[in-house]
Amino acid sequence: MSTELLAASRHVAGRAAGPDVGDTSLYLAFRLADDVYAIDILRIREIIEYSVPTGVPMMPRSVRGVINLRGAVVPVIDLAVRFGRTATGVGKRTCIVIVETEHAGALYTLGLIVDGVNAVMEIAAGSIEPAPAFGTRVNADFIAGMARVNGRFVIILDIARVLSIDEMVSITPPMIET
Amino acid sequence: MNDAAQDLAQALGTFMEEARELLAEMEAILLRAEDGSGQEDDMNALFRCAHTIKGSGGLFGLDEVVRFAHVVENVLDRLRNGKLQFDSDLISLLLACQDHIANLIAAIAENTEVPVARSDQLLSRLQAVLGTGGGAVVAPPAAEPHSSEAGIGAGDGGAMGSDHWHISLRPGRQVLQDGMDPLAFINYLSQYGKLLHVETIVDAVPEFAAADPEICYLGFEVALASRASKAEIEGVFDFIREGSQIVIVPPQSQISAYLALIESHHQDAERIGEMLVACGSVTANELAEALAVQKQQEPHARIGEILVEQGAVPPQVVEAAADQQKRVEEKRSGEARIVKVPSDRLDALIDRVGELVIAGVGTHLQISRIQRPDIQESAEVLLSLVQDIRDMTLRLRMVAIGEVFSRFPRVVRDVSRELGKDIELRVRGAESELDKSMVDKIGDPLMHLVRNSIDHGIEPAETRMARGKPARGTVELRAYHESGSINIEVSDDGGGLDRDRILRKAIENGMVAPDAHLSDQEVYRLILAPGFSTAAKVTSLSGRGVGMDVVRSNIEALRGTLDIESVPGQGTTMRLCLPLTLAIIDGFHVGVGSSHFIIPLDMVVECIELPPDVGDRGYLELREQALPFVRLRELFDEQGPRHPRPRVIVVRYGSRQAGLVVDRIHGKCQTVIKPLGPLFAETPAVSGCTIIGNGEVGMILDVQALVRLCAGAGHGKHAKN
Repeated sequence: MSTELLAASRHVAGRAAGPDVGDTSLYLAFRLADDVYAIDILRIREIIEYSVPTGVPMMPRSVRGVINLRGAVVPVIDLAVRFGRTATGVGKRTCIVIVETEHAGALYTLGLIVDGVNAVMEIAAGSIEPAPAFGTRVNADFIAGMARVNGRFVIILDIARVLSIDEMVSITPPMIET
Repeated sequence: MNDAAQDLAQALGTFMEEARELLAEMEAILLRAEDGSGQEDDMNALFRCAHTIKGSGGLFGLDEVVRFAHVVENVLDRLRNGKLQFDSDLISLLLACQDHIANLIAAIAENTEVPVARSDQLLSRLQAVLGTGGGAVVAPPAAEPHSSEAGIGAGDGGAMGSDHWHISLRPGRQVLQDGMDPLAFINYLSQYGKLLHVETIVDAVPEFAAADPEICYLGFEVALASRASKAEIEGVFDFIREGSQIVIVPPQSQISAYLALIESHHQDAERIGEMLVACGSVTANELAEALAVQKQQEPHARIGEILVEQGAVPPQVVEAAADQQKRVEEKRSGEARIVKVPSDRLDALIDRVGELVIAGVGTHLQISRIQRPDIQESAEVLLSLVQDIRDMTLRLRMVAIGEVFSRFPRVVRDVSRELGKDIELRVRGAESELDKSMVDKIGDPLMHLVRNSIDHGIEPAETRMARGKPARGTVELRAYHESGSINIEVSDDGGGLDRDRILRKAIENGMVAPDAHLSDQEVYRLILAPGFSTAAKVTSLSGRGVGMDVVRSNIEALRGTLDIESVPGQGTTMRLCLPLTLAIIDGFHVGVGSSHFIIPLDMVVECIELPPDVGDRGYLELREQALPFVRLRELFDEQGPRHPRPRVIVVRYGSRQAGLVVDRIHGKCQTVIKPLGPLFAETPAVSGCTIIGNGEVGMILDVQALVRLCAGAGHGKHAKN
């Protein structure tokens, strides 16, 4: 496990203990292709090393398959495909971010394949700007806002929208193309 | 503080649960009594149910429940003593009372308004039965002349003087921890009479610093003027009997009884003596005499022996007490056989055990690589133990379907009365097991089917007679296991489905073209369509046409199917076929590319090699029959390593056969089905997944859906090829 992954993991694990600092929130920043994205850390359950998911037949390409997370079967989503780009390749720092999202009133656990996690960062609510109407490579609906951190733009994702089960299910591909 | 409130809430929850069970038992007994199949002990059991509800309701201060249950109890008491006879009206009244108690408890649980008016209405009917005249009933009157035939009062010749009961209570040290307040019991005694004197024994209370506030150090000596029977007074202490020392000395007892009481507390005999004097139960003189006698006696003679020996208590009382004790024992042992566990804990356990199995298999694999027979042997033992544990754990979630069936006798009774039909319900296979979560979900669909059978299926008695059938209709509920699924049938011996009428109605509604040719099955299935009803008139039960499609969709949501069989003039059978979800299925483990798939074993007929000359045809010849097959590798777009000689798994579903071409066969395995969750709800070919020995996830194939899918896509496929 890379050191940054370890540090980020610890941060996730210890998040409950940390004091609530004003109106800043903690975000987990990760890389995907050339961009840096961030997810509200309260959505994140853990970060695990990449393991090859088991494919589920006849699912959209954005659903890479399922993994066995200590006995629970957790679907793994390829965010890049979800954003309409080519599938994420597997590198040394590829890992799976386990997040929780709500579906029909119940919490549902999903994994996201990312190219690597950067850090846990504090972002003040005031410094988050709305997403530009166009120009980002991600569908504007998926973006909760953008923030400038260390001289770089970070895209804060609206996880509920990105991982909307209803929407992901509805793009099931035509059933048979043999 | 918070904890205490929580404990109370928890105890109240337990009370609710227990009350519901008792009410269910009452209902079962009443229904049995109605159809004449009552058992010997039923009347006593019925009384005990009401009594326990009243008693524990009193502990929680649920006054309305106590007020109501008290009168019900009186009626039941008379029934049990043969002073009243069961008739159909009384049973109906008692069933209504049982419902009302359930409503009262539900109202308390949901914090809604308690339906007091209904209580009064039922109470006045009960009073009429009791013959004490109508009018509002006050809370259990203290001096009400209780039926005391079981007691030792008038029946035994001893005049009821001004003497009183003496009760010596030494609650067990744990009572407070058990959530019981001894004071509540003593207060409750005043329901049976007047508390003349209560003396508290504080001798056992230690130094303040050393005292544990959760331990009850106190003892009580109570003088009670009451005409209640000994059994009734004993009954008050049912809940704290365990671990407590309770001695009840009836009025007019000989001095020896008090002596026995003193003797039973021999460590502080003098103290008790003083207490008895303080309570006015014995005089100082008598005490002195008694203590003198005691000195001459065997120091450790048993109290019961002394009592009987001295004729202090009439034999029937001893018998009754022994009987009561035995019953309490039986009840306790019954409780000990069932442990209630929240289902999320069970699920967590099952998950962990699944992990344990996987870890066990992994370890076993590692160990088999090293050449150490001794370690290998112990790993073998460990693994087989782990697998045993898994099997047992999975069985924990299985419950008998009888739990669902048990509510139907009442439904059938009520509905058939309402419709003026005479219907018998038969239940078979109530012991068949299925997953608890299924049990919770099939209740409503089944209810609907049963009501339908009664309303639409069974003909009125005159019609039945005319058709040469017994006037009494029969509805049967039957459950049985069949190849990895459970079948539940609701059948009736009624008129059967009217094919012509259904078809006519369907054509009228535009659901079917007038010139369509439909098989019987297809016609019957029309009744499952939304909005379909052939009922000539809408009753309160059915006829609105919203029922069967809901039933169907509920069952389909459980991945089950609903079949209809009907013979005109002879009856209809609705058959639900449901998977046993989460139950272990016997699976057949195959590999395609690098993926693992599980095929339910009961669908597998045989395995053959794929003939090399099959080319790109979609069928092969098997024993002179054409067998259509599907290549899973292509269908699922699997990459992974290809096998030079693929295998065909021949599967059967219903009457059809098909082949599935796979790369590898791993063999039979026990499979724990894990649901795939909402994301995969629409996935056609996969019904669930499982974690296989090496920790990877395997998909469980839904063979039926898979073949249907291929059959539907067959034309397009060929066109493309």
